[in-house]
Amino acid sequence: MPDALLIAQREYLQRVRSKAFLFTTLAFPLLLGIIFGGRFFAASQSQARSSPALVIASNDLNLAQDVRENLESDTAPLHTVTVIAPASPAELDQLRHAVEEGHYEGLLWLESVPGVAQPQAIYESRNVENGSSTVLLQDAIALAVTRRELAAQGLTREAIHRAIHPVDLKVVHLKSSRSQSLLSYAAPYIMAFVLYFSVIYYGMNVARSVVQEKTSRIFEVLLATTRPQSLMAGKLLGVGAVGLTQIAIWLALALLWAKPAMARFGMAGASLAHLGITFSQTAFFVLFFLLGFLFYSAVAAGFGACLDSEQEIQQFSFIIVLPMVVCLVLTPDILQHPSGPLAVALSLFPPCTPIVMFLRMSAQAPPAWQVWLSLVLMGAAIWAALWIAARIYRIGILMYGKRPTLPEIVRWMRYS
Amino acid sequence: METQQAPVVELDHIGKRYEQKVAVADLSFQISPGMIFGLLGPNGAGKTSSIRMMIGITLPDSGTVRLFGEPFRRAHLRRIGYLPEERGLYGKMGVLDQLVFLGRLHGLGAMAAERSARAWCEKLEIAEVLQKKTEELSKGMQQKIQFIATLLHDPELIVMDEPFAGLDPINSNLLESALLDLRKAGKAILFSTHRMDQIEKMCDRICLVNQGREVLSGGMREIKSRYPRNRVAIEFEGDGSFLEDPSIAEIRDYGNHVELKLKDGADPQQLLRRASGQARIFRFEMMEPSLEEIFIRTVKGEANA
Repeated sequence: MPDALLIAQREYLQRVRSKAFLFTTLAFPLLLGIIFGGRFFAASQSQARSSPALVIASNDLNLAQDVRENLESDTAPLHTVTVIAPASPAELDQLRHAVEEGHYEGLLWLESVPGVAQPQAIYESRNVENGSSTVLLQDAIALAVTRRELAAQGLTREAIHRAIHPVDLKVVHLKSSRSQSLLSYAAPYIMAFVLYFSVIYYGMNVARSVVQEKTSRIFEVLLATTRPQSLMAGKLLGVGAVGLTQIAIWLALALLWAKPAMARFGMAGASLAHLGITFSQTAFFVLFFLLGFLFYSAVAAGFGACLDSEQEIQQFSFIIVLPMVVCLVLTPDILQHPSGPLAVALSLFPPCTPIVMFLRMSAQAPPAWQVWLSLVLMGAAIWAALWIAARIYRIGILMYGKRPTLPEIVRWMRYS
Repeated sequence: METQQAPVVELDHIGKRYEQKVAVADLSFQISPGMIFGLLGPNGAGKTSSIRMMIGITLPDSGTVRLFGEPFRRAHLRRIGYLPEERGLYGKMGVLDQLVFLGRLHGLGAMAAERSARAWCEKLEIAEVLQKKTEELSKGMQQKIQFIATLLHDPELIVMDEPFAGLDPINSNLLESALLDLRKAGKAILFSTHRMDQIEKMCDRICLVNQGREVLSGGMREIKSRYPRNRVAIEFEGDGSFLEDPSIAEIRDYGNHVELKLKDGADPQQLLRRASGQARIFRFEMMEPSLEEIFIRTVKGEANA
């Protein structure tokens, strides 16, 4: 087995078996679940609160029941409806009082006038109703009236049903028209966050592992049989594979979780696709993780080779992660304006490409040439980072005790 | 003791500079199979730099390194066992896993590496730690593990920087006899240490370096014979006034015996006659110069020159 693979294998097994791996693998989705799940829960709660009890009072029991049926048969019922008919003026006063007390969200008074198709309808409510709710009431009443009129024309129940059965409207999500739904924003947002987290976490792991091997002096033992390049390649491969393993576990968990969770949100039969997570998105996620990881871990390996302790990594890690943090902060803007100059520029700037291009692709399909250009630039940047890091690494790992100055590092690069 | 077989290591006028400092200048020596070679020198003399060039961790700026009769190639590294002065093991790794990993890195198969690791652990009496984590072991045990890691792949050239540092006498003897066995098996062994007694006991040839340059080299016996036997150890009872004899340059009193250094040209037989006239003599030994003495004298002489 080539040295690099042997080193990668050791690195991989050592990490995957560690408690830290188990912890981050489980704790991270849990944390995400608490943060984002909390938001969804709050959202669904506010929906539940806005599905109010409604009372219909009428002098025409059939009409009232018909309207109730229409309101409740809606796929996502907004109202629980009580019917009082025929209602006396005294009862009507009582109901008005009940609405004022907050027992009902609103009172719908329907009065059939003989000889007139349209009933008189009055809706009384404490709250200023939003438009969609009033439209729902209008529709329900109109439907009931239509049904009664058609029956009066002698049509059978089945014929009426056939005629006014709601059309099954298919809704097509066009990428170019930005979707406003909460879920279609959440998915890329969460994925960008996971991308950020894993690239940084594993990049920093590389730096930490380099420093650990430096302080434990094991480098000298390893260098007696293997090249520094193989050491570095093995380390990147091994740590990167751990990252991929973790992402695979998270994806599997997400798939397992998605079905029951969405069933609970009233989206039975849904899958990840309904969350806006498509196969190609997942593939790009993995691709951008790999690109980001290679770039940042090469940079981190170079830094690690110059440093002597974990504390020093802490000091320098801020510089390394800065571009990623900027991307994360700008995520809402990028999702809002995925073709804006800021998003386009950042997506072509290699340190930002993984997150920004991923976000752009999730929000709206960017022009193919921009995607290709970003990949080419990213590839070149990775190559340059690896080249520089390998040269610093080769000499830096044997230097103990003193942090090299910048001119010294530049000189290292010139050594053949 | 020296064999006439082709040398395993041939350093030919190698030199190395770092930035402004000369680490090694014009160093040459050879190591043959079945030989223990001692590389000595004060701290910062260039021992580690020389070793690193010898095994290709760094490249010499000048001169050539030949191993196993050919110019240096990376493939040679699998025939070398190197124990660096700065020890390094993976603390979190199990001992056996670690040894197998290091053995495989030296070209062994996983099975062969495990077999060799078990055999060596038996031999050095630490088989019981194979399943433990390395960081749970004492310093001395880790040292033995590192020692084993160097030898797993049955190297023909063994390079050990301070192999006995931090070991108690029992373990020190254990490793010593392991090295002597390896010499008998025809391995070429280089070791570098500050412990002069060990070098004196074990090495066939030495090379003393100071400030990157060789200041003394040759066979142990031959080097010692270059220095006069002007040290005398005396164990006596009674009148010690002979110690004021004008032939004596220096006295060290160890309580149960004294060690004298005679002036150049002084006759030890004369001193013995005077001493035996005054006191009961249990021991009167003319000692050859210790390597430590030669070391100090040479390095100081360098500094004064």
